[in-house]
Amino acid sequence: MWIEIAHFATIIALLLLLVQTIAPIVGVGLGRPVWIRVARQASFTTAFLLTLAIVGVVVSFLNHDFSVKYVAEHASRSLPLFYLTTALWGGHEGSLLFWAWLMALFSALAVAWHWSTHPRSIPWVLSILGALGFGFLVLVLFLSSPFERLAEPPFDGRDLNPLLQDPGMVFHPPFLYMGYVGFAIPFAFAIAALINGRITDEWILATRRWTLFSWAMLTTGIVFGAYWAYYELGWGGYWAWDPVENASFMPWLVGTALIHSVMVQERRRMFKTWNLFLIITTFALSLLGTFLVRSGVLSSVHAFASDPGRGVTILIFMAVVLLFSFGLLVLRADRLRGEVHLESPFSMEAAFLFNNLFLVIAGLTVLLGTLYPLAVETLGNAKVTVGAPYYNKVFIPIMLGILILMGLGPLLVWRGDKGSRLLRTLMLPVVSGIAGMGLAFLVFAIDHPYGVATVGLAFFVIHAHGLDFIQGIRKRMVNAKEGPIQAGMTLIGRNKRRYGGFLVHFGVLMMAAGFVGSGLFQEEKNLVMAQGDFVVIGPWRLEFEKLVEIEGNNWKAQEAIIQVNGPAGKLTLHPQKRVYRDHQMPTTEAAIFSGLREDLYIVLGDPVTDTTWAFRVYRNPLVSWIWNGSGLMALGILWALMQGRRPVKTRE
Amino acid sequence: MANLWKTILLAGVAIILGLFALGLGNDPRNIPSPLVGRSAPNLDGPALDEGPPIAMEAFKGRWLLVNFWGSWCGSCVREHGYLVALARKTASRPDFAMVGVDFKDTRDGGRRFLAELGDPGYRHLFDPDQKIAIDWGVYGAPETYLVDPSGIVRHKHVGPLFDGWFEKIALPIMETKP
Repeated sequence: MWIEIAHFATIIALLLLLVQTIAPIVGVGLGRPVWIRVARQASFTTAFLLTLAIVGVVVSFLNHDFSVKYVAEHASRSLPLFYLTTALWGGHEGSLLFWAWLMALFSALAVAWHWSTHPRSIPWVLSILGALGFGFLVLVLFLSSPFERLAEPPFDGRDLNPLLQDPGMVFHPPFLYMGYVGFAIPFAFAIAALINGRITDEWILATRRWTLFSWAMLTTGIVFGAYWAYYELGWGGYWAWDPVENASFMPWLVGTALIHSVMVQERRRMFKTWNLFLIITTFALSLLGTFLVRSGVLSSVHAFASDPGRGVTILIFMAVVLLFSFGLLVLRADRLRGEVHLESPFSMEAAFLFNNLFLVIAGLTVLLGTLYPLAVETLGNAKVTVGAPYYNKVFIPIMLGILILMGLGPLLVWRGDKGSRLLRTLMLPVVSGIAGMGLAFLVFAIDHPYGVATVGLAFFVIHAHGLDFIQGIRKRMVNAKEGPIQAGMTLIGRNKRRYGGFLVHFGVLMMAAGFVGSGLFQEEKNLVMAQGDFVVIGPWRLEFEKLVEIEGNNWKAQEAIIQVNGPAGKLTLHPQKRVYRDHQMPTTEAAIFSGLREDLYIVLGDPVTDTTWAFRVYRNPLVSWIWNGSGLMALGILWALMQGRRPVKTRE
Repeated sequence: MANLWKTILLAGVAIILGLFALGLGNDPRNIPSPLVGRSAPNLDGPALDEGPPIAMEAFKGRWLLVNFWGSWCGSCVREHGYLVALARKTASRPDFAMVGVDFKDTRDGGRRFLAELGDPGYRHLFDPDQKIAIDWGVYGAPETYLVDPSGIVRHKHVGPLFDGWFEKIALPIMETKP
């Protein structure tokens, strides 16, 4: 019953999306606003209907309705409630429906919020979002329907893939989807601007928060994924440069470029074409992500999600969207000739320009690394993989370049600066950076050039940001006659965007420290232990006390009890090897002690003889800094999001 | 200058889309196995039929197809018909042998599977605690390996074998000299 309601609601939604796509065009063409209002109502109703559809599918899961094919394939009677609800996005069909639902929800919100403030863009925004939603629902309804019934319902379902039975599954995909789908709104505004020819700053202002929000969601989703990969070992640490991981990283990189370069357009009316290019590319890369995950064109640890038959349709959908939007950009680019030109290489604009180049090149390198195996396989019929060595070689230098710019940014001023003043300002942070390098080399005994460079740059960036903050406080103390603390508070409160950005930068630095620490200084031991044996790794002493069998809802596991003595005192860790009832793939549940300095990470391997077991033990320095750093980034974005629209500076 | 950029942009998009279109035919499950090109792991153990134990040594000098299966595995049912046909077709080849590994299974389960779906005629190792399967890095079922006469793994196939697999995949490998 529920699934039929869901199915029916989705069909109606499909028709309404068609209305939402066509009506505004007619309305604009005939000059009849009523048509546009019809589209607005269609968008609201679609959001409601698709919510109903989602509820229908979730209820079918909760009822263990295995006559629904999708439920039978992704759940079982013994699946815990927690995963029963989230199995909605455990497979292809549900994921697409979830995508479409988010899209409808965001569209309705966007239309409600921007209806009166952006009357010229709204018809086109409605139409574009309608068309995108329509495309997705076509996929849902005609190619991968989660509403199908089975003629002979099985008694029990096939259960969710064990790798997906993890809290990571609950958070990682929805955040990513929110990021991907969120970028659709700025995308729609950008296309609307291109279509109606009013390529002013309107779309940038309308979509600032959408962009920040989507970027924050994407960041969170990626970090959740990294964390999930980290403790569910077998996917290679926290980042394996798997094509599907890359698929979420590429829009992130280009989106980051967008967030920065938008500021240049707001302040200096430059980079107009470039910004449109960035948002179109960001959204295109989001679609590409979906395509890569779902079509299976690439070998990936995510291959479980793929189905070549659907790949064709997603590809067609993607091709239409891409050719349309990039084509439009190319046609209209001439209207966007920037009136303002770069005045000095020592200016904020120039810093942003280079920041953008670095980020886009970074995105391009990831794209090349992702596509190269595909090209070789398709054209040369050989199987190659591009792994960490390639990315480390090209990626780390780019990232170090970005760190340099991050430090320069706050010290530069708009329009340009005298070289001599700049040199004076730069002096102290540079000294700081050099001191940091010395510290890294002499005190922390970091001997890898990248490690030393990162520490030095971190000092440079922190000093530069601190300097800017202190200068701001001084100015305020003089101008507003406030005490230093009061001045600092006012500054942070009035300039949420700027200081939110600073916070994000500190988060990035923390993450960089985590990457350097865990990437360069990981210590690993492979060993075989019998009960009662012990091993020493760094300051830790690990004793293998015993092995026990334990059983969960739908799995059995062998669990090693390990007594640990170390800097954190006495601990007991429980690495497991788990086998889920309906699946054969054993999954590894690593036992992790996470500390500020380092993580102790234990993996239980296979039995070697009747009484001994293989273990892998890692010391992963500074890994927790990655997670904490991303938390800081989220806080920073939240702060920046709280700033209302800044009045456009008219002084030119 | 501006036109050059436009052309590059559109050409880039078109090339990527074209690449994807061509790439759709690729098999995502064709994941390179670290075993390919290396000596096959141990394949000695008790037989499913409780006859004399099976030893890898016995197959030296012949191409060997090692098929991992279990009665619990749905895709193995789908694949089984092809295996029976393949065994029949290759029975006369002196340079080719097949062996099954029934893993994570019960003896009854494995035997009933063969009794119901047809016995292809070759022998099966019985590997209830996945000792062999783990050595071979099997993470799903069915999985099939092609081992050359000198004991080197030459190909791994994840998922059920399809009709014509032998001619399309195995024969070309068997005809090239290592």
